[in-house]
Amino acid sequence: MKNLLLGSSMMFIATLGATPSMAQIGEGLVSEGQISENLASQQLLARIISLEEELASLRTAVQQSTQNAAIAREKADIAVATVTKVETKIVKVEKKAKSATYSGSESDAKWHLAGYADVGFVGSNNASGNDSFVTGKFNPGFHFQYKDLLMFESELEFVTNSDGETTTELEYSQINLFLNDYATLVVGKFLSPIGQFQERLHPSWINKIQGAPAGFGHDGLQPTSDTGIQLRGSLPVGETRLAYTLMMGNGPRLTSESAVDTEGTGRDDNSNKSFGGRLGYFPTPNIEIGGSFLTAKVNSYMDPAAGLPFVPTGPTDSRYKLWGVDGAYTKGAIAARFEYLNSTRASLFTVTDDEPLGEIVPTLDMEAWYGQISYRLSNVGGSDFIKRLEPVIRYGQFRINGQDELAEENAQNRFNIGLNYWLSPTIVTKAGLEWRNSIVAGVDSETRYQFQVSYGF
Amino acid sequence: MTKRKIQMLWLGGFATITTLFLTSMVSVSAAPAKKAAAKKTDTMQIVRGAKAWKNNCSRCHNLRSPKELTDAEWDTSVAHMRVRANLAKADAEDIVAFLKASN
Repeated sequence: MKNLLLGSSMMFIATLGATPSMAQIGEGLVSEGQISENLASQQLLARIISLEEELASLRTAVQQSTQNAAIAREKADIAVATVTKVETKIVKVEKKAKSATYSGSESDAKWHLAGYADVGFVGSNNASGNDSFVTGKFNPGFHFQYKDLLMFESELEFVTNSDGETTTELEYSQINLFLNDYATLVVGKFLSPIGQFQERLHPSWINKIQGAPAGFGHDGLQPTSDTGIQLRGSLPVGETRLAYTLMMGNGPRLTSESAVDTEGTGRDDNSNKSFGGRLGYFPTPNIEIGGSFLTAKVNSYMDPAAGLPFVPTGPTDSRYKLWGVDGAYTKGAIAARFEYLNSTRASLFTVTDDEPLGEIVPTLDMEAWYGQISYRLSNVGGSDFIKRLEPVIRYGQFRINGQDELAEENAQNRFNIGLNYWLSPTIVTKAGLEWRNSIVAGVDSETRYQFQVSYGF
Repeated sequence: MTKRKIQMLWLGGFATITTLFLTSMVSVSAAPAKKAAAKKTDTMQIVRGAKAWKNNCSRCHNLRSPKELTDAEWDTSVAHMRVRANLAKADAEDIVAFLKASN
């Protein structure tokens, strides 16, 4: 069309050019109107050419848009197909997940078998000690939950001792009643909430070293359990929280050696209840600071075999007080902990095998503490083997004043170094050295080398 | 005053304090209970759960893989830890939501 218009214009110009004689005849023969028409025609021609160019440009743009639209449509079709495939897969996975979960997931009552077990080897340089494989412990735990209302939980401990006898202990057996978002009522036999170690760190798959720190295991200063009630939970404090535990129980008893046995009992021997608890504060998610206390009265120990009427020459009960502080810093691969406990049992009159006529035993003061640091090499080196290693070091002390036999047997500085290898987050193999240096003069020190494999399930 | 009376006073005082405390706790928990109802559609719960899981569980032991237990077992296991680790109910629920989403 452009060519056609151009041709027409040329013919028009040629027509004008074919009459020069008229212009040459005289100026008066070409009118002003004719000149004006010629100018208008030329302007019209230029406008037509401009429009043609614009039209061509638009046509090109339309063609490009059409191509883009086709590409977009193709991509949209692909996306729709992909989404359809994903939706189909989600439906399949949901069906598979539902079939894989046992029916308890939707029921009101649920249960879970948990716990831990360990085995090991202990060698010693002590003349009275033999290098031995040890059976370790088997501690199955049972959790039964009814809705969000109540949970019964219990843990047993099976151990084969050095004489070959298998002993069974009820570590705890308690009912937890969930009162509200921030409070739970616990009734039954429970692990002592004093400090951190006994309640939260003593299971062998959690404990970084084969045994407990001096004074924190059985027959130590750390209370092991009590029978009674607890009120515990967590309270929000600004951006952080406060963990609290308040307890009342049957309380401790005096042993035949005039020490204080803090194992939970099924009967209160003196109708005097123990009161205690712990407050834990978290200034940041990585730091925990805690304080604990326990107070109770213990009665005199009267040897049941003696069978004599006694005339006490001193108080037949005395106050037992315990307090402690603890702290922990845990961030990534590093874990640092510290605990301190201090107890006092006032003097009282007792009757024992050694003193069948009775005696007044002096005040018994005990204190125990430890500090421990462990570091998982998960960020060191490229070897998977090295990443699973965890060196650990611990130092602690258990001091006893007022009962010489107890001090000779237990008062000591205890230093541990160890290297752990984590097969999985809950399976660990431990190798370590332990130096036990008695604080009492004349008592031999001992060096132990210990191996242990522990599995938390 | 006899020894028995003193003990009864102790017990009575403890019971009174406990009752008052529990009553206050119930009123304190009213607002969070409403939040919990609205939280079912909160997609950020899983994110909060991941954070609570990392901060609380690793305080004492290694973080267990979410795939170690089934959803129902996580319900019970976390309920156990809610008591042992003194967790608030909201934190425990967030952790369960995260563990189930990662299972």
